[in-house]
Amino acid sequence: MPRNEYQNQLETLRTDVLEMSEIVQGRLEGALEAFETGNVERAEAIIEGDHEINELYLTLEQNCIELFALQQPVAGDLRFIASTFKIITDLERIGDLATNVGKHTTHVGQTRYPDIEIPEVGGYALEMLETAMTAYAEDNVAATYEVARMDEVLDTLCEEASAVVVEDLLEREAGDGTLFEDVSRVLLTLRDIERVGDHAVNVSARTLYMIENDDELIY
Amino acid sequence: MSSEMTDTTDETLIETGFSVETDRGREPTDAEGIVRSEDLSVYYGNERALEDVTIEIPENQVTAIIGPSGCGKSTFLRSINRMNDRIESCTVEGELTFHGKNVYDDDVDPVALRRKIGQVFQAPNPFPKSIYDNVAYGLRIQGRADEVDLDDAVERALKGAALWDEVEDKLDESGLDLSGGQQQRLCIARAIAPDPEVILMDEPTSALDPVAASKIEDLIDELVEEYSVIIVTHNMQQAARISDKTAVFLTGGELVEFDDTARIFENPKDDRVEDYITGKFG
Repeated sequence: MPRNEYQNQLETLRTDVLEMSEIVQGRLEGALEAFETGNVERAEAIIEGDHEINELYLTLEQNCIELFALQQPVAGDLRFIASTFKIITDLERIGDLATNVGKHTTHVGQTRYPDIEIPEVGGYALEMLETAMTAYAEDNVAATYEVARMDEVLDTLCEEASAVVVEDLLEREAGDGTLFEDVSRVLLTLRDIERVGDHAVNVSARTLYMIENDDELIY
Repeated sequence: MSSEMTDTTDETLIETGFSVETDRGREPTDAEGIVRSEDLSVYYGNERALEDVTIEIPENQVTAIIGPSGCGKSTFLRSINRMNDRIESCTVEGELTFHGKNVYDDDVDPVALRRKIGQVFQAPNPFPKSIYDNVAYGLRIQGRADEVDLDDAVERALKGAALWDEVEDKLDESGLDLSGGQQQRLCIARAIAPDPEVILMDEPTSALDPVAASKIEDLIDELVEEYSVIIVTHNMQQAARISDKTAVFLTGGELVEFDDTARIFENPKDDRVEDYITGKFG
């Protein structure tokens, strides 16, 4: 029956988005570890694998467009597909950020600032993304607000870590050959992690709209 | 029932003082809506087709009425200009007002009412007459052919229905020779020729191809600058495209939800409406 098929397509879309998210989360987690430990081979594999995420994004985008064109969704279905259309963009961007982290990876790893635990800060961003996707999977309003709250914590973590780097930079004297490179890699990675958090908030904002037609978190 | 009437009502509804000239270019001034029903119930024999419908139809806007077959939407439409009077078994309870005047009051002339509230039907139904006579028909039957410049009135109506450019050189040809879409616009011209305030449309594009339907939709968008349009449609995308307000009737003749169209199609309040418009019900 066409209507049943339509409902099945909606459920399949949701499942596919969750699978895309798992892939993206895995890539980011791997990139953060590679950055910390200096595993350049793993970082390169993540960079090369980004096209898979891009292709998945394009496939899901096309699925959304077909649902718009053929089913002309309204009400809850419309909000679900419209939100999904936006959420897959955020997931694709997080995939790009994982490749950025991969590009910042060197054989030395992150040894200059032992007080800064990149995987820990990044892990918090990953937890945000996981919470956001749980909200999307389960229509969980409370979880969407939780992600917004977590973003403030993440911003603080990133700011504090960046401050450590900048203070160290100001105290150093010239002549340290890799100083600027190391500082740049760490600051850029922290910025990428902070942006992952922003995308997780975007996912939550669209999910809240999807569930309750509430645009409070969209900004 | 309130007998309070606006300034125009004395002139618009009561047979003896019916005003031909209406104030065009008006702003929506009727705060209570140009058409309003309160606890309106309609029965065919013992069967209730409408159940306590309370609604205010805004002036100079397009109001869409949607719902599954048998939900009473056409019955509601016909109640507005008393087309249900022609059905012997039909009885009406409650109140339905036009400019604050109950159209079912004894002193209201249904024919005069229908001059102010015109109607366009599902299938184009031009008379087997010339294009000119089709449009002039309404004015002639109302005995107003001598009051107005008929040529001018026909031209204005055909222009208003976006048909003039296509027929100005063949006004003497039969209306039945036009295409389906042109015939429906001819019927719209016929409806607006007597200078109504409200136009009721009962699935006016359901018999037309998408291109012809699109022209009617464009026309409705223009008509609403001068008229209040109430349209029954089974095409929910059409309702979403062209209407400002949408009323959703469900089986049993119940008005379940009435709100801004964008609201209805993005986030309806009632779960039954959500289920209906997303195809899970009805």
